[in-house]
Amino acid sequence: MLFLKLAWRNLFRNTRRTLLTVMLISCSLAALIITDGTVVGLVEMMENTITRTLTGEGQIHHKNFMDDFDSDLMINNPDSVIDAIKANSDVMAYAPRIMIGGMIASSYNMTGGLIYGVHPERELNVSRIKDALIAGEYLSGTDLQILMGKGMAELLDVTLQDRIVVTVAQIGTGETRQELFRLSGILEFGSREMDERFAFINLATAQRLVATEDGVHQIVVRFHDPALAKNREHSLYKSLTHGDIEAMSWLDFNPSISSVIQISNFVTVILGVVLFFIASLGVINSLFMSIYERIHEFGIAKAVGTTPGNIIQLVMLEALIIAVVSCILGGILGYLSSSWFSVHGLPIGEFEVSGIAIDGSIKTKVLAQQFILFPAYIVLLTLAAALYPALFASRIVPAVALQRSL
Amino acid sequence: MENVIETCDLCRYFGDQDIRVKALEHVSIEITRGEFTAVIGPSGSGKTTLLHLVGGLDNPTAGQVLLSGTNIADMSGAALSDFRRDHIGFVFQAYNLIPVLSASENIEYIMLLQGVAAAERQRRVKEMLALVGLEGLGERRPRHLSGGQQQRVAVARAMASNPDLILADEPTANLDSATGIALLDIMRDLNQNHGMTFVFSTHDQKIMDRAQRLIYLEDGQVVRDESK
Repeated sequence: MLFLKLAWRNLFRNTRRTLLTVMLISCSLAALIITDGTVVGLVEMMENTITRTLTGEGQIHHKNFMDDFDSDLMINNPDSVIDAIKANSDVMAYAPRIMIGGMIASSYNMTGGLIYGVHPERELNVSRIKDALIAGEYLSGTDLQILMGKGMAELLDVTLQDRIVVTVAQIGTGETRQELFRLSGILEFGSREMDERFAFINLATAQRLVATEDGVHQIVVRFHDPALAKNREHSLYKSLTHGDIEAMSWLDFNPSISSVIQISNFVTVILGVVLFFIASLGVINSLFMSIYERIHEFGIAKAVGTTPGNIIQLVMLEALIIAVVSCILGGILGYLSSSWFSVHGLPIGEFEVSGIAIDGSIKTKVLAQQFILFPAYIVLLTLAAALYPALFASRIVPAVALQRSL
Repeated sequence: MENVIETCDLCRYFGDQDIRVKALEHVSIEITRGEFTAVIGPSGSGKTTLLHLVGGLDNPTAGQVLLSGTNIADMSGAALSDFRRDHIGFVFQAYNLIPVLSASENIEYIMLLQGVAAAERQRRVKEMLALVGLEGLGERRPRHLSGGQQQRVAVARAMASNPDLILADEPTANLDSATGIALLDIMRDLNQNHGMTFVFSTHDQKIMDRAQRLIYLEDGQVVRDESK
């Protein structure tokens, strides 16, 4: 207890220096908490943008379908797949889809596009098609309805309720089939490609159009916990990947984004290393100055029987107090800052993720690990940084120390 | 009588071959338990060096220091620290108390190192403070004590571990005459009534007058050794 008291009081011999050291470490910790919160928030925003816009968190389709979207490669017996999905308690929602390339024409123009046949109600839980609606109505299941991107509508020079003719090749035979629709809604995803090339019709209509009874090209799933979707070893992927069927995480069909996210995680590590290195230098500098000022005193302490181990213990205790106080202050500062940004966001301007424009601000994430792991690292690194000054102090020769200061 | 200190051909040189300062040359002395001895001599004669060597604060260039029969040259750093803690008390010219600890805590510090139980430490602290006439001042930090009071705390600290020997390096040099005499009276009392062995290095006539034995050093050598 006396050692603890001694260590505590020693820190107030030069209050300004101790405060500066504490501020350096506290600010480093706070900066790390904010940075990590920002990176996690950014990654989550990117993941959300990718998975919630259209692609979903996981997809099940024919093994070779993703290579060139060959419409003949279907899941011909989707009921067994859907039963397996329903049986998996981690899955929150699923939506079957038809995806087929075709010609989309108005009275004035025509264009090629990708036509999605979607289940209107199920789609609400896995994608943001309805959220992207800027005019008209969402699909309700009737045959004539078609939604298209704003860019496509402008290209075809159509407005709501205008007639649209969709021409596709039927599965198996390849015979062309035309169907008349009325433009029921216009979408804006913020992605030029999606807005100019994607159209959405009801699933049953699409199945009739391509002449399949109940086949689908894709089943999109969403998990209760989005983190599960990234686990390529998840039971859903394992159980459904067999024969011609393949179940994939969104990371598999967005490899570039997966890399970006991995790099983002390194940002925290790199910044953490830099900040901790600077903070460690501050601790070493502060402790060395403190030791140099007290060389005479260490000489006295050793003269009266303080062992080198006692000296190391004392210096390490001083470092521990600095670290703990810094962690408390840094934790509070980091929490307050990160909490504020989690509500008000960090303005980042506009950028694109996977072809989808993001305009707004990053909402930082406040996570328990930021207040457990990072302070633990700070304490360990501060103690590691203090080891050298502590060893130096323990090796002071009493007679030299006494003469030097006298 | 049992020897507390025995030095054999003790030499301490500073510097290298080119500029060698011979601080002590072949000093052989014996100090028995209960002595009140003053090592005297002009500045630079080697008094402090002798005390440092005897106290295990420095290593001799040649020769041996036997403390209660133990050759301190054979001890490791930690063992020597333990030995100093348990067998030797130091009183320095500049008091050298730990400034952030109170008078009581300064006295308690050594007992803490010795692993003495808290209750016993508190009892001894009170006893030591009473012995040096500082009852009621235990909670004061050194900066709130006069020079004489600080030196009394230093004596109490040196006494606290119940050592075989107290080495006092010019303990009255920074004190006024009356305070110095009062402190010497305390130490003399400790010597006579508690059997504590004292070795001083000093220029102070007051100490010389009270000492039982005077060892004269000149240029690092014992030139006279007389007992009263």
